[in-house]
Amino acid sequence: MAKKALLITPELCIGCRACQVACKSWNQLPAEKTQNKGSYENPGDLTPTLYNKIRFVEVPSEKDPIRWLFVSQRCMHCEDAGCMKICPSPGALYKTKDGIVSFNQDKCIGCKLCIAGCPFDIPRYNQKNKISKCNFCEDRVANNQPPACAKTCPTGSITYGDRDALIANAQKVGYQKLYGQMDLGGLGVLYAFKDAPKLYGLNENPRIPESIVFWNNVLKPLSYIGLGGVVAASILHYLVIGPHKEEEV
Amino acid sequence: MSEMVRKASTFEILNHWVLAISCILLAISGYGFLFKIEGIAAVFGGANMMKDIHNYLGIVFSVSLFLSIFNWLKDALTFDADDIKWIACAGGYLSKHPKIPPMGKLNTGQKFYYIALLVFGTAIAVSGFIIWLLPGNKTYVLWSHLIHNISFVVLMIAVPVHIYLATIANPGTFRIMIYGTVPYKWAAKRHPKWIQELSHGK
Ligand code: HEM
Ligand code: HEM
Ligand code: SF4
Ligand code: SF4
Ligand code: SF4
Repeated sequence: MAKKALLITPELCIGCRACQVACKSWNQLPAEKTQNKGSYENPGDLTPTLYNKIRFVEVPSEKDPIRWLFVSQRCMHCEDAGCMKICPSPGALYKTKDGIVSFNQDKCIGCKLCIAGCPFDIPRYNQKNKISKCNFCEDRVANNQPPACAKTCPTGSITYGDRDALIANAQKVGYQKLYGQMDLGGLGVLYAFKDAPKLYGLNENPRIPESIVFWNNVLKPLSYIGLGGVVAASILHYLVIGPHKEEEV
Repeated sequence: MSEMVRKASTFEILNHWVLAISCILLAISGYGFLFKIEGIAAVFGGANMMKDIHNYLGIVFSVSLFLSIFNWLKDALTFDADDIKWIACAGGYLSKHPKIPPMGKLNTGQKFYYIALLVFGTAIAVSGFIIWLLPGNKTYVLWSHLIHNISFVVLMIAVPVHIYLATIANPGTFRIMIYGTVPYKWAAKRHPKWIQELSHGK
């Protein structure tokens, strides 16, 4: 089945936060008390009950004294997902046939290794130390429904569809290269940016930490090649040279 | 064969088995985490339980490793010219009729094994405690995760070699970690310098 994706176009966003509300509503996530920090951004950060947040960036310039950027921040559903790579618990994080990176709190052991694996600082934890993040409305997508955020968005700033089709459409309207198109094997959340990703609060080159790549590609295989190697060598030694018998000492 | 000499005290034997069993269980659950093996998690009562067991066994392992210092560190750090000869002839393990230089209470390989265990055992323990107790601190956790797993690779090579050499490769050795004693003759052949020391001390 084709990989699904969301295409986010900050330029179309009016900052209404209907998607934040729709997300909470569909996923039955309670509201939280927040603090006014002098910005329209509210709440200030993702929480275990806030999967999707509109980041609010002010970029005043001489030409454009009032320029506001609204960027939906949430799990990117990476094709090559650092969180899944490092997670030690079978089934805690899994990928659906639509390419969604979802989670099962019953299987999560609360080790928080996925924080270290995620290039986007996404995983949050509930009171029981179980992972919590956007699950791409896995249940809706499984029933051919768009995620709540995309369904609600009144301006078309969040659109949902087959990943390839979204990329093709964006190219037609002039976005040659989307953020997330190639990064980390291809993100499930694509961004149509007019400026450098940095301006929108995203890393230019998101990467899984090198130590995790090294661990995955080298240390993991070595852990059984080494063990198997010395067991084989021991057997061989026993057969070819044999034990140190007392008489021979 | 009748005259016996004591090579390990009861405390040493007990501590050895606490160390060995905790290490092996940590390693099995470790493989369970490393490759997300459902079957291993099920044996430990599920992944959540396996984490708790792995973490608390880590404490057992660490305490036991610390206590082992009193058992073996002094002998393991005493080197002389015979150790170089031992290395030169690879401990005699590559020959059917080896000539092995005279050894003290521990042979050179055993010394190296203990030092390696102390270094990488400490590394795996400290890094394990950081992963366990400082979760969410990205820098610390990434370093610890790397160190935990490098140490794991080293231990998974060193420990099986130790088990092979302490059992079928060297008949007469295994009983040390059961009874604590070995026949005097056996010891005089394998650890002559230690026997010399013992008789001088008497
Ligand atoms: C389960 C299989 C094991 C067996 C049969 C075994 C057997 C033995 C024996 C017989 C000795 C005495 C050697 C001597 O005094 O000459 C010994 C020493 C020792 N064992 Fe084990 N052991 C096992 C597992 C382990 C494990 C898993 C560890 C560590 C994690 C370990 C650590 C040590 C250490 C540090 C010594 C001290 C002397 C040396 O360096 O060889 N053993 N073991
Ligand atoms: C001989 C001793 C040990 C061995 C062989 C061992 C092995 C492993 C392995 C292979 C993993 C999975 C790889 C990974 O995802 O990082 C792991 C994970 C882990 N180990 Fe160990 N370990 C040992 C000792 C310890 C100790 C002393 C602690 C500290 C209490 C510890 C705490 C952890 C933690 C916290 C994890 C991450 C998964 C989890 O939270 O359960 N380990 N260990
Ligand atoms: S896709 Fe669903 S879960 Fe994710 S942010 Fe949108 S509404 Fe929330
Ligand atoms: S906290 Fe949960 S989801 Fe994250 S790595 Fe650990 S087991 Fe996996
Ligand atoms: S954004 Fe982070 S949490 Fe989401 S799939 Fe990628 S690595 Fe995992």
